[in-house]
Amino acid sequence: MKLTQILLSVIVLSFSVYSVQAQHVSDPSLIATGAKVYSENCARCHNARPAEEYSKKEWSVVMPHMRAKAHMTGKETLAVEAFLASTLTADVRNNFDSAGSKAPQRSGEELMSAFGCQGCHSIKGQGGTLGPKLDTVVTDKGQDFVLRKLQDPKFNNAASAMPKYPMTEADMQVIVRYLSQ
Amino acid sequence: MKIKVLSSAIATALVLSSATNVNAQEGSSLDIGRFAIAGYGDVTYIEQSKMKDEAGNDIQNNVSARFVPIFLFQLSEKIHIEAELEFSTNAEGETETELEYANMHYFFNDNTIITAGKFLLPFGQFGANLHPSWINKAASNPGLYGGHGGNGSLGGITSILGDTGINIANTWDLGAAGKLFTDFYTVSGPRQEEGDHGGGVEMDAKAGDNNDTMAYGGRIAYAFLPAWEVGVSYYTGAYSNDGDLNYNAYNVDFNWIGSFASVRGEIFGSTAETEGEDEGVEGEHGAEWVRDFDKEGWYVQGTWQARQLGRDWLNPIELVVRYSDISSDFDGSIAHEFEEDGGKTGSRIYYGINYWLEPSAVLKFGAESTSIDNAQASHDVVPDDRMFLQLAFGF
Repeated sequence: MKLTQILLSVIVLSFSVYSVQAQHVSDPSLIATGAKVYSENCARCHNARPAEEYSKKEWSVVMPHMRAKAHMTGKETLAVEAFLASTLTADVRNNFDSAGSKAPQRSGEELMSAFGCQGCHSIKGQGGTLGPKLDTVVTDKGQDFVLRKLQDPKFNNAASAMPKYPMTEADMQVIVRYLSQ
Repeated sequence: MKIKVLSSAIATALVLSSATNVNAQEGSSLDIGRFAIAGYGDVTYIEQSKMKDEAGNDIQNNVSARFVPIFLFQLSEKIHIEAELEFSTNAEGETETELEYANMHYFFNDNTIITAGKFLLPFGQFGANLHPSWINKAASNPGLYGGHGGNGSLGGITSILGDTGINIANTWDLGAAGKLFTDFYTVSGPRQEEGDHGGGVEMDAKAGDNNDTMAYGGRIAYAFLPAWEVGVSYYTGAYSNDGDLNYNAYNVDFNWIGSFASVRGEIFGSTAETEGEDEGVEGEHGAEWVRDFDKEGWYVQGTWQARQLGRDWLNPIELVVRYSDISSDFDGSIAHEFEEDGGKTGSRIYYGINYWLEPSAVLKFGAESTSIDNAQASHDVVPDDRMFLQLAFGF
């Protein structure tokens, strides 16, 4: 009987404790989380692939395949899907309504958080390592370089995994100014 | 009573699991697809003018091409179906088709995936994840993976790749301490090749099984992402028709990924039990024997991306170096299929330069040289130096 009880505990713990509650894609932290998971997992085996290689519908089918390959959890997979989708269109950036012309301009820090930049890049010691550190990128490369990189991530490296974000010119200028500080 | 309680326990676990499942796209604004095609392919030119086959004939330089589509189908949020086919052209110009895998994933809960069908066994990293040509940084395979594609005259270890059965994969989140990945599977297992003394081990998956026993295996890995992953794999299964002879294998893999560089490698060892008999005097049988044939190998591969140098024209360039070594206790003392199949053992070094055209398309130029240790075991030594030019792409 004791053995059965122990077995019961193990089974229940195995299949429930590590489970998580569903998280809606409109959660503003989901894109940043997805960028981090994308940065940490894709390059384990291969170059990270920019979102534009598949459509959103295709990513929703490809990601379960990659979930199994990379041992990602369901929650992590959802976050990566949200991140990839955010780089294809702005429709999952729900809580950051930049589409409206009357919306207040977000700060550079808010924009970088919304786009999940620190999933791959580190700033002040915080962030991923897939891409280069951004602390001195403007000083080292110049504002024009950073602006052009945001506009066309592959302009200086065809193999760059950096997505072409659906950000406005004003957003780019704010990010460049933020990185200049 | 015990059965009743156990049944209740399992039912409770299933209910709890279902209640906490992540409905990945529930109510989301993501577009949900049903079908997608991914995959990879390559075109490879091999310059091997110094090589000869076992009959002493020159081996011609050649160009080969492969197209390997992966069909992905999302039946529901919990069920995902996938199949990979490999199309290639053989030396006679005929099209060859091979089913690499065809299986169904059932996402039992957030951290558990049950896979059934033909799948790539989680044994080490190369066979399961790293062999696609656009992912493999080199134009050839590590020397110990002789059974996986062309490998010159170096005999590899019997590869554990795809087989048919069921796998349970779990991800255990340890918080700041990292993650644990576990896989446990049971599959049809190895077979016995035809041969005078029973033949060697054959790993190609076929319909049905040649004995009543299943093979078992698994991999446990610790990952401290994004930099480290270390895994240990084990596989065991009876391969003889009567189920008396076993094939066992182990693998230790590691993977370190940095911003501009990577180092990965594997240690791979196998033991095959083999039976036979000595030559007896005329009209009588010789003494029967059972012997373990051990074969071990390892490889380590390093890559370095030149974008670290900060010059735009160097950004797509990546350097690769890989060293492989295989050894065995085959000494040629008995005439046995194992020793014939074992081929040569030795070491091999590969140098390569990759030019990345896209994140998933690469032009590779590589050269490798092989030193054979056991020419006396089965084959004559021939120069085994090759050069590669390969275009590989993922899609």
